[in-house]
This record gives sequence, structure tokens and C-alpha cells, in this order.
Amino acid sequence: MAHQAHSYHMVDPSPWPIFGAAAALLTTSGLIMWFHYSSTTLLTMGLLSMLLVMLQWWRDVIRESTFQGHHTPTVQKGLRYGMILFITSEAFFFLGFFWAFFHSSLAPTPELGGQWPPTGVKPLNPLEVPLLNTAILLASGVTVTWAHHSITEGNRKQAIHALTLTILLGFYFTALQAMEYHEASFSIADSVYGSTFFVATGFHGLHVIIGSSFLTVCLLRLIKFHFTPNHHFGFEAAAWYWHFVDIIWLFLYMSMYWWGS
Amino acid sequence: MWRNLLVRGPSLRQVSQRTISTASRRLLENRVPEKQKLFQEDNGLPVYLKGGIMDGLLYRVTMGLTVFGTGYVLYELMMASMPKKQK
Repeated sequence: MAHQAHSYHMVDPSPWPIFGAAAALLTTSGLIMWFHYSSTTLLTMGLLSMLLVMLQWWRDVIRESTFQGHHTPTVQKGLRYGMILFITSEAFFFLGFFWAFFHSSLAPTPELGGQWPPTGVKPLNPLEVPLLNTAILLASGVTVTWAHHSITEGNRKQAIHALTLTILLGFYFTALQAMEYHEASFSIADSVYGSTFFVATGFHGLHVIIGSSFLTVCLLRLIKFHFTPNHHFGFEAAAWYWHFVDIIWLFLYMSMYWWGS
Repeated sequence: MWRNLLVRGPSLRQVSQRTISTASRRLLENRVPEKQKLFQEDNGLPVYLKGGIMDGLLYRVTMGLTVFGTGYVLYELMMASMPKKQK
């Protein structure tokens, strides 16, 4: 069997990149078919194929690392760069929505009654459920750090408890936020206030769900002994992403919920 | 600590180990070495098919969905780009 004279990972040929691109095509075309022709077939196919590609691609990364040992320190360094760059790109994504919010709220137009919140809009009380949600996410940041320390110390039981608690806190946040959405007296159609509020908090909520899913996969891998005290980058990546989601919430809370009320 | 000194019965640790049946104990064992052996087997299979029959099945389902879907997109695009016949 040939051996490589370098520490990088030359991956096996894989169909997932091109299938992933096709899934993106189906999803975007599916959105067009839904918006303009009221048909959800393509969109469903797109989302389903996206899910299948993600499951199999990341399953293969786990196989290549935990089972085949291809993730040398060099490879891990590249993955760290990659995750940081991805999170940075997400930060810019949210920056756009914050820009839109401040553009509309710093100089409210006459159509809004020249004030922010606009005339007739009754904003959510920032000291009620939103404050609780802030506490929940901050606490989950503590528990995920606890889980990390437990992993590096080789304490399996504590790591499982801490990570489970983190995920439960994430679900609690999502449930409370869903309830808030239902109970709010304004909708996304209520002027630019509704647009900026629900698009920004909505995308944040989606990222909480993505982060919770990532952490859940890590929990399953933790239970299955995939992580070692020295090598557990999948968990670290999930924890970074989770902290990012927490920070975005803090900015949302301070600007839209508190200042904007 | 005192309980271990005073009581002669099974310790808490022994009781918790005893109550797990053999079948579920298998789930709590480290099976990574088995997986490592499976995925390091020199059988020429690429990683996305190396896990067994389910891999091939899942691959074919994904391919079917994306290939058929791409064809469908092109069909719908063609239909959408042709003007509707008006009297």
C-alpha cells in the first residue's frame, strides 16, 4: 500500500459536492416554483436532497477522521481556519440585517409617524421573555464550556451531562421564542419594523436550531466514544458556533429588543 | 464513604452496573475499534460506500433524487420560458 510523504488528507473521490450543488439548484428553483407557480414539489425535493447530502458528507468526514485517522494536526489546523472563516461569513450575513435595522430606525420616516417603534406598533417587553432568553443562552454558554473542560479532563459522565444540559437550554430558547412569535401583537407585514424584527430574529432562530443540531450530533459522538481528551475538534467547532449564536442574540437583544422598544 | 465502611451489601457502583442487561451494555461499550477495522479494510471501496449495503442504497436514492430533480428543473425552465399562446 502506498504511503504519503506529507501530513495532508487527499480525500477519496466523492459524489457529495456535485450532489450538493444539484440540491442547491433544486432548492432555489423550488423557491421560484413555490412563489410564482404555487408548486412545492421541487422545493421538497431540494430540501430532501440537501438533507441527504449533508448527512452523508458529514458521516464521511467522521469516518475519515475517527475511523481512518486522516485528521493529522495539519489537517485539523486547516479545519480550524475553515470554521473560523465560515463563522466570520455568518457574522457579515447578520451585519447586513443589523444595517437594515439601524437604517430604518435611526431616521424613521413620516410614513412610520416619525418615531421608532412606529405609530401603532406595540413592541415586546424586553424585560419579560426576551430577558429570560438572554439568561438561557448565557447559561448555555457556561454549560458548553463545562462540557469542553470535562472532555479535556477525560470525565465522560460529566461531559455528557453538561452537553445534554446545553442542548436542553437551546430547545427551551427555541420553544420560548416560538411562543413569543405567536403572541406578538405585530407581524412581519407590519411596516419595516416587522420586517427587520422578524427577519433578523428569524434567521437567528434558524441558527439556534442549526447549532442545537450540531451539538446533538456531538452528544451522540461523545456517547459513542469518538472524542479523546486531546482530539475533539468537531465538538470545539460546535461550541464556537454556539458562542457565535449567543453573541448574535446579545446584539439583537440590545439593539432591537431594548434600544428599539 | 461511610456507607462502604458500615454496610456489607453491594456498593452503589456495583448496583448500577448490575442493573444493566447485556444487550444494553453493548451500547455503552466503546465500539470505535470495530469501526476503525471496518473502515481501514483494504477493499478498494471509497469512504462513501465503505460502510456496507446501506451506503450504496442511500447513495442511489440521493443520486436518483438529484438527477431526476435537475432534469425536472430544466423541463420547468423550458416551460416557463415559452410564451403562453394568446388568442
